[in-house]
Amino acid sequence: MSELLAFSNVVAGYGGARILHDLDLRIDAGERVAVLGRNGVGKTTIVNAFLGIARRMQGEIRLAGKAVGDIRHFTAARAGISVVPQGRCIIPNLTVRENLILGAAVRRKGAWTVERVFAMFPILKERADTPGTALSGGQQQMLAIGRALMANPHLLVLDEPSEGLAPVIVDELADNLRHVADGGTGLLIIEQNYSLVRRVAERYYVLSKGEVAEQGAMAGLTKESLKKHIAV
Amino acid sequence: MANALLIQVLNGLVYGGLLFIVSVGLVLIFGLRRVVNFAHGSLFMIGAYVGFSIATVAGFWAGVLGAAVVLAVAGVLLDVSVFRPLRRQDPIATVLVTFGLLLILEDLAHTVWGKDTHTLPLPEMLAGSVDILGQPFPAYRLMVIAVAAAVGVGLALWLRFSRVGLFVRASSIDPVTTAVQGVNTDRVSALVVAVGTGLAGLSGTIAAPLLALSPSMGGSILIESFIVVVVGGLGSFSGALIAALAIGQIHNLGIIYVPWAATMVPFLLMVAVLVWRPTGFAGSHV
Ligand SMILES: Nc1ncnc2c1ncn2[C@@H]1O[C@H](COP(=O)(O)OP(=O)(O)OP(=O)(O)O)[C@@H](O)[C@H]1O
Ligand SMILES: [Mg+2]
Repeated sequence: MSELLAFSNVVAGYGGARILHDLDLRIDAGERVAVLGRNGVGKTTIVNAFLGIARRMQGEIRLAGKAVGDIRHFTAARAGISVVPQGRCIIPNLTVRENLILGAAVRRKGAWTVERVFAMFPILKERADTPGTALSGGQQQMLAIGRALMANPHLLVLDEPSEGLAPVIVDELADNLRHVADGGTGLLIIEQNYSLVRRVAERYYVLSKGEVAEQGAMAGLTKESLKKHIAV
Repeated sequence: MANALLIQVLNGLVYGGLLFIVSVGLVLIFGLRRVVNFAHGSLFMIGAYVGFSIATVAGFWAGVLGAAVVLAVAGVLLDVSVFRPLRRQDPIATVLVTFGLLLILEDLAHTVWGKDTHTLPLPEMLAGSVDILGQPFPAYRLMVIAVAAAVGVGLALWLRFSRVGLFVRASSIDPVTTAVQGVNTDRVSALVVAVGTGLAGLSGTIAAPLLALSPSMGGSILIESFIVVVVGGLGSFSGALIAALAIGQIHNLGIIYVPWAATMVPFLLMVAVLVWRPTGFAGSHV
C-alpha cells in the first residue's frame, strides 16, 4: 500500500511549547482513519504540523511517502493532501464558486470539478454567486469539503467536520464522506463525534496529551476506552 | 462658464488619475503584505527619472514602458529582501525600512541625475490640444486620463476574472488558508508588489511632462496618496478609485477657487472620514 501521510516520533508545538510528544501515525492510500480525542489534546496541531503552521521540533513527517524537512503551507496540497480546517476558513470576499476554484489551485486532474461538487451539494449551486460566508454553518462545511475536493486529493483531512452541525446534517455528512471514500480518496477524520466516525472510519487512533494512547480497528473500539478518552 | 468648469473637471481627472495609479499600488501592496510603503513616492520619482533617461534615447513610450519594467523588477527585489524577511516582525520595522529607502532613493536621484531640474518633453504626437466644447484642452492630458482609465479597468478585470487575481484577492484576506490550498502566496505577493511599484514607475514617467523632475517630487504625491488610501479604506481597490477621483477634483478646484485652503482640504476630508467612518468609505477588501 502506498503511504499518503505519516508521522514518525514527531514532537511539534508552537514557539517553545511542545504539544505533540513522540507521535506516530500513518495513513495509506484509500484508508479511512479517525483521530479521536478530547478538547485541547493536540488534534488540530497534527494538521498544523503537516501544514507548516505548527513547528516540528523532532521526528519525521512524510507527505506522499517523501520526508519533508522544510514544510511550507502549500506543500501538503501539492503532495495530494487537502484539508477541511476546523472552523472551515471560508474566504469571505470570494463567492461560493470562487472559493471552490481556489481549491483547484494545485491543478491536479481528477473526477472532482465545480459541477461535480454542485451535484453532491445542490445548495452550493443555488448560492454559487453569493459570498461564501453568507452561507449557514452546515453549508459552509459543505463548501469547505467541496473546496478541498476540488484539488482531487489522494487524502482528505477533516478537522472536526461535525462541530456545530445539527444531527441530521451530520448524518448527511457521513453519507457524503462515504461517497467520497468510495471514489478512492483516503480520509483522515479528526473528531469528538463518535457517531460520525463510527459510520465512516475503519481504523482509529485515540490521542491523549499529544500522544497516541490507543489504536486499532474501528470494530474493536470499546465503550470503556471511548469513555476514558472522549466524552460520548 | 460651464465649459470652463468642464475643463477644470478634466484637469481634476488628470490629477485624480495619476493619484489613482500611485495609490492603487499602495493599496495592493498593503493588501498582500500589510505594509505601508513610505518609499512609494520615491519609486514614483525614480520612475520619472528612469523614464526620462530612457525617453531621451529611445522615445517617450519606451520611457514609460521601461520605467514600469525597471520599477517592477525593483519591486520584486523589495519584496524578497525587505517585506518577506520582515513579515513576522513588528510592522514598524518595515515602515522604518521603507522610510530609510525613501531617503536613500532621493540621494540616489541627486547623485545620478544631479540637482538641476529636468523636464521630459511631451511626445510630439500629443503636443497639441483637442477641442472640447469649444475649449482647447491639451491632448497629452487626455492621454493621461485614458492611461489611468486603462490601468483601472485592466486591474479590475485582472483581479476579478483571472486565476491569479483570485489568488490575490484571497491572499489579501486570508493568506494562510490561501496557501493551504496550494498557492505559493510569497510568489503572489512578489508579483503584486511588482505590479504596485511598476505602476509607480509608469505614473512617474507619465507625470514627468506635467511636473518638473526633482528628487523631492515624490513627497507631495506620497502624502496625497496616503490620504486617498485612508479615505478610500486601507486595502480597498474601489475605495482608492473613488477617493483618488474625489481628491483630484478637490485638489484642482481648490487651487482655483480657494487657493489659500487648497492644500488643507484633502487633509480635512481625511480627518472627516476618519471621524465619520474609520475604515474608509469602501471598507477594506482588495
Ligand atoms: N497557534 C497556537 N499557538 C500557541 N498555542 C496553540 C496554538 N494552537 C493551539 N495551541 C495550544 O495547543 C494545545 C492543543 O491545541 P489543539 O488545537 O491542537 O487541540 P485540539 O485537540 O484540536 O482541540 P479542539 O478539540 O478544541 O479543537 C492547546 O493547549 C492550545 O492552547
Ligand atoms: Mg482542534
